[in-house]
Amino acid sequence: MQTAAELLPGTLDLIVLRTLVRGPMHGYGIAQRVKEISKDVLHVGESSLYPALQRLLLDGYVKAEWGASENNRRARFYTLTAAGRRQLATEREEFERIIGAIHAVLRFA
Amino acid sequence: MRVLRRFAHWIRSRGHRTELDDELAFHREMVERDLVSRGWTPDSARVAARRAMGNETLSREEARSVWVWWWLDALRQDAAYTVRSLRKSPGFTAAVVLTLALGLGANAAMFAVVDRILFRAPPRMIDPASAHRTYLYRTSEGIEAERSGQYVRYTDLARWTSSFSHIAAVEERALPVGTGDATRELPIGIVTASFFAFFDAPPALGRYFTPAEDTPPVGAAVAVLTDAAWKTRYGGRRDVIGSPITIGPTRFTIIGVAPSGFAGLWPERPPAAFIPVTAFGPMDGASTWWSSYGHAIGITTIVRRKAGVSVAAATADLTTALRRSYQHQIDVEEPSAGLTLASLRPRAVVASILSERGPEASSFSRVALWLSGVALIVLLIACANVANLLLARSLQRRREIAVRIALGVSRARLTSQLILEGVLLAILAGVAGVVSAAWTSSAMQRVFLPNDVSPAVLTDPRTIALAIAIALVVGIATGIVPALQTGRRSLTADLKAGAREGTYQHARLRGALLIAQGALSVLLLVGAGLFVRSLRNVRHVPLGYDAKPVLVVDLNMRGVALDSARLAALDERLLSASLGMAGVEHATLMKTTPFEGIMSTALFVAGIDSVDRLGEFDLNGVSPDYFATMGTRILRGRGFVPADGPRSAPVMIVGASMARALWPHVDPIGKCVRLAVADAPCTTVVGVAQDVHMHSVGDESGYYFYYLPAAQMTPDNTGLFVRGRDPAQLAAPLRSRLQTEMPGASYVTVRPLSEVVGDQQRSWEVGAEAFSALGALALGMAALGLYSVIAYGVVQRKHELGVRLALGARGADITRLVVGESLRVALLGLAIGAGASLGAAHWIAPLLFEESPHDPVVFGLTGLVLIAAAIAASWLPARRAARMDPTTALQAG
Repeated sequence: MQTAAELLPGTLDLIVLRTLVRGPMHGYGIAQRVKEISKDVLHVGESSLYPALQRLLLDGYVKAEWGASENNRRARFYTLTAAGRRQLATEREEFERIIGAIHAVLRFA
Repeated sequence: MRVLRRFAHWIRSRGHRTELDDELAFHREMVERDLVSRGWTPDSARVAARRAMGNETLSREEARSVWVWWWLDALRQDAAYTVRSLRKSPGFTAAVVLTLALGLGANAAMFAVVDRILFRAPPRMIDPASAHRTYLYRTSEGIEAERSGQYVRYTDLARWTSSFSHIAAVEERALPVGTGDATRELPIGIVTASFFAFFDAPPALGRYFTPAEDTPPVGAAVAVLTDAAWKTRYGGRRDVIGSPITIGPTRFTIIGVAPSGFAGLWPERPPAAFIPVTAFGPMDGASTWWSSYGHAIGITTIVRRKAGVSVAAATADLTTALRRSYQHQIDVEEPSAGLTLASLRPRAVVASILSERGPEASSFSRVALWLSGVALIVLLIACANVANLLLARSLQRRREIAVRIALGVSRARLTSQLILEGVLLAILAGVAGVVSAAWTSSAMQRVFLPNDVSPAVLTDPRTIALAIAIALVVGIATGIVPALQTGRRSLTADLKAGAREGTYQHARLRGALLIAQGALSVLLLVGAGLFVRSLRNVRHVPLGYDAKPVLVVDLNMRGVALDSARLAALDERLLSASLGMAGVEHATLMKTTPFEGIMSTALFVAGIDSVDRLGEFDLNGVSPDYFATMGTRILRGRGFVPADGPRSAPVMIVGASMARALWPHVDPIGKCVRLAVADAPCTTVVGVAQDVHMHSVGDESGYYFYYLPAAQMTPDNTGLFVRGRDPAQLAAPLRSRLQTEMPGASYVTVRPLSEVVGDQQRSWEVGAEAFSALGALALGMAALGLYSVIAYGVVQRKHELGVRLALGARGADITRLVVGESLRVALLGLAIGAGASLGAAHWIAPLLFEESPHDPVVFGLTGLVLIAAAIAASWLPARRAARMDPTTALQAG
């Protein structure tokens, strides 16, 4: 299994934030969801996921709470904060801008 | 926000670590479950999940590293590491902490004293930097002296200066407070109404007096209590306002209470009350006290500079006003005295509000500063000692350190860890030191500031801050020594090295530190020796009278005026009342007390042009019992007898050296002396008494003393000397008994003559005690340092010593080897220290009493003590080395 190297650099935070828009999730859930949605193209490794989550906690974009998982295990659920939503919008805009630019270059250069 | 979150995280980082662990474990479990659900066996699923998760520790560390500042984390790790390693060697830790605590404690205690004397502004004073005490100088017969104290001078200066926003006259004096048997002398602040504006101290109760109440010739009899007096003497009752209080001869009305902590300019001796200068001035009865330049009431002028006026400008302005005041004095009061401004050279000085920083500072601050220097030396010794111990320890740990370097710890990190070790130890020591300083300084305060009300060391933020600052500096300084040493070493050599090789080469730095300690100890021990010898000399000065059994009775008439017949009767009653008491052996009237007052009159002797030119001749007027009371021996002729009364022929007794000065080689008995005027009737010399010290315990050549019968002099009300079998027990009943004889508001005080004499010896006592204590401390530390280094050296050289023993060296040889090394260090330290002491001799000489700063006895004894300490310190390790079994030593190495 490959780790964050497969993701475009700097996009992990964006992806995690976007995933959390649907509601609180634990770390494993986030990894699974990214895998599912991307049809197994994107893999988020634990060694980059958890540092990323800690970074987002530190920045105040997410908050964490302990709760029961679907199989009744104690798990830590992450929730998007208002600041996180704003950050998601900014990062997404920036991402679209860069992707658009890359597309343009690939097409016409 | 980030910082706060980060900090909150750091505070409970242990909790976060477990949370992260739980989270990762949950993740792994989920992966496992997922695999099982896809048909994997549980066992293979577990293995696969673990493999899929990769390096869990790395994930965890990386997730954690998001939160923590690396350096803070490193610091915490290092601190934890240091605490662990210090716990493992409690003996070492205790030795270091104790050594530093003693050094720090001595310094904190001395600082507490010096700070109060020299640095701390009076409590509650507004902007102390712009407030000043003034000193007024004038020159007379070529000698310049401070002469202030007249109220009229103060009003002149207030009127003729323009540099000051505030000006006030102040004086603190012990005055009798209360009436009858309850009368006590208490310090009273005598101030102008303008004084209170120098402070931010609104009255806690009532009000302060106003300029209208503080107006000459007789100000209002109103008093403001200080908080302490209000609480102790009036139980803090609010209805105290309006009640009477007798101060001196005057009945005052209490109009206010000052706030707590406010003690005017005198925190070291807080007054009981403040009264207007103009209520104090008329107390001695002179009606011109406020307008006459000849009448000084002891007041000092204090000023506050206006904003923008420099000290130099203020001084110039004040000097101009002072010259104008003197010119006015010459014009108005003494036009015929021939005084001129040119000869008087009036000069004003605007100085610190703290008198000990002004031009008329007492010797107290000098002694205190000296002792601070001594305390600093003790701290230096303690530092050298601790540096040595840390060094020895780091050498012991060099393999451990080499391993850590090999594993990749950076030198910077290693250095910071070693310094941290020093700082941690110093902080521990700082805490212990401040606690010990609390004891020491209460002792110091008893010596220097017996009545101080400033906070104690433990609650004084300034002293605590200083102790912390010193602790940090000391910690860094001592920690850096071993850090520098590790920086220089070769890693591979250290890794290979056993305890057997290479270690001894580092002894040079430690040796130097030991020698420095020895030298500093010698300096202090020599100082201690010189002061102890001075004190012994001072105590062995034959005073010519016995101080111990004698009580001094002072009479304070407090405005009660008696005619001379009544006074004589009172004297007689007091004398017979004293003699009637059990335990009283002798009693005598007197007119002066040694060291405290002088009485003299012009003498005329046939054949001598000017007796005055021979020296100063002072006298005392006494009863027949005087010589028995004081234990002063009559050498020739007779003492006084009751028959030497007002109507019989005038007689006198002269001191031995006075007899020699006036009638060399001739029998003085029967000689005629005329007193006061050249044509007075003869006073006949009837006896010669032994010489006495009346001015100082030092040299009194040029001072002469004689006695007249009190009965042949004008009666007055000075007091008595009473000799008792047990003066300490006698003092209180004697005072009560004599008080019953006192008319009106007058009262008596009783104190031991030994107290008066003791004051004369005090500076040597302080020096001897402080130097001895600190010298002993220094010696103890140096010996401890020597012991630890020698003992450590023996362990290091175990192998070498084993070889020596195996090759046939006897135990005695080994002992000699080890002790010899210690002695070498001590002798070098001795040589350097003795040299330094000789160099410092001329500074300390003025503080000694009939003692040469080069006293060979002191230097010799110091040398012996140091050598003895060196032998004692090395004896135990030496014996241990000598008794070593060579086989085990060689194997162990």
